[in-house]
Amino acid sequence: MMTYIVFILSVIFVIGFVGFSSKPSPIYGGLVLIVSGGVGCGIIMNFGGSFLGLMVFLIYLGGMLVVFGYTTAMATEQYPEVWVSNATVMGVFLLGLLMEVMLVLYVLKSEEVGVVFKFSSVGDWAIYDIGNSGVFSEEIMGVAALYSYGAWVVVVTGWSLLVGVLVILEVTRGD
Amino acid sequence: MNPLILTIILMTVFLGTMIVMASSHWLMIWIGFEMNLLAIIPILMKKYSPRAMEASTKYFLTQATASMLLMMAIIINLMHSGQWTITKVFNPTASIIMTLALAMKLGLTPFHFWVPEVTQGISLTSGLILLTWQKLAPMSILYQISPSINLNILLTMAVLSILVGGWGGLNQTQLRKIMAYSSIAHMGWMTAILVYNPTLTMLNMLIYIMMTLTMFMLFIHSSSTTTLSLSHTWNKAPLITTLILITLLSMGGLPPLSGFMPKWMIIQELTKNSSIILPTLMAIMALLNLYFYTRLTYSTSLTMFPSTNNMKMKWQFETKQITLLPPLIIASSLLLPLTPMLSILD
Repeated sequence: MMTYIVFILSVIFVIGFVGFSSKPSPIYGGLVLIVSGGVGCGIIMNFGGSFLGLMVFLIYLGGMLVVFGYTTAMATEQYPEVWVSNATVMGVFLLGLLMEVMLVLYVLKSEEVGVVFKFSSVGDWAIYDIGNSGVFSEEIMGVAALYSYGAWVVVVTGWSLLVGVLVILEVTRGD
Repeated sequence: MNPLILTIILMTVFLGTMIVMASSHWLMIWIGFEMNLLAIIPILMKKYSPRAMEASTKYFLTQATASMLLMMAIIINLMHSGQWTITKVFNPTASIIMTLALAMKLGLTPFHFWVPEVTQGISLTSGLILLTWQKLAPMSILYQISPSINLNILLTMAVLSILVGGWGGLNQTQLRKIMAYSSIAHMGWMTAILVYNPTLTMLNMLIYIMMTLTMFMLFIHSSSTTTLSLSHTWNKAPLITTLILITLLSMGGLPPLSGFMPKWMIIQELTKNSSIILPTLMAIMALLNLYFYTRLTYSTSLTMFPSTNNMKMKWQFETKQITLLPPLIIASSLLLPLTPMLSILD
């Protein structure tokens, strides 16, 4: 099972996304996002990115999702919609699950999966070799490069975040 | 809107397009598109009515979907070529997906459905920015990947856009929807020539932007959003009436006005590449466009449109200030003799 751990985690990832795209109440969407975030962290860690995985847990789950959870708790209604309460939500969720199950069976049964790009087998999907430098962890070097060679990207993303906040305040301001 | 916030947001719209046009890394281009999209949403919602909010939501959803498709194409390109530089996209799957994503951003058929609805729901100035500035960024990316675009897909979308832009505008009386369908048709002309001679795409874009700017400025000056309201301009500002006539005929592509130049060059380039049926079809379908432009001129400048007697004096609170109208008028009607100067664009 350990050789296929990335495949299993990515299937759980997609099922989680299907779970919140079928639009239950945002509280349950946030719950599923926690699961998806944790599983996504697992996927990143399997490629050797321990720093970025911890970043997902700390910043995404522990910062952004907590704030999202609090705001949704303030704005929630008395009987929030679960997956089983509404026929539409249930139907979309089941449809998404069905498509994912069919895709998984297709990947497992056939030798190659050539949907948009080719995997040769489940094993190929599980382990993508990213090139061994051996001495440095490339992932932490990438983060360091963001702040040295990629200073312009930091400026652009910082500006985008500022403008994002301004835009949201402007849009929700009303008249 | 608070003037400081408006300045920052307009600057970000500008910066987003500039980043798209000046970047060589695919990720920065995607960032530029997203920044542009994020910052234009409050501009679209300036009027603050449910109609404007619906229009902004539709715009956001379609453009975000297009950005996601673009990101997928970028990642497929990365998987197959191993690098992030903008060159021609060698993988056909990535190229097709990228072309479709950029067509969604531009409003080409079959992704044109958002253009009339979004343009109708927002104010005239926001519609101006939407139909002119927002076309620059996707077109610049199409220009850069033009050697690798699948010809069949692009030409199909272009011809269908000219058809839809002509046919769809026939039943409209709202000026913003007319301008939206005109934009769809012009985008069709621009992308038809993209694979053969991308310089003409840029020429068409330039002249289209000038003509659309002029039209919107004239509409803003007379504060009119419907044909009926436009038909009352003869009373308030007769000169505006004449200018509307000239600019509309230029948009229809009639010589000796400058709108003829891109169409002429495009048809010439297409026939040089031994496709004859295609430019014939395109020219015939441009007649549909010309029909509703001339119908607009008929009701505005050529006749006194029927209305009740107390509507004849057009009331208006204050005259809106229009920027740069005289140079725009000159540019959108008198540029045809400059056509030999196109040889410097090579």
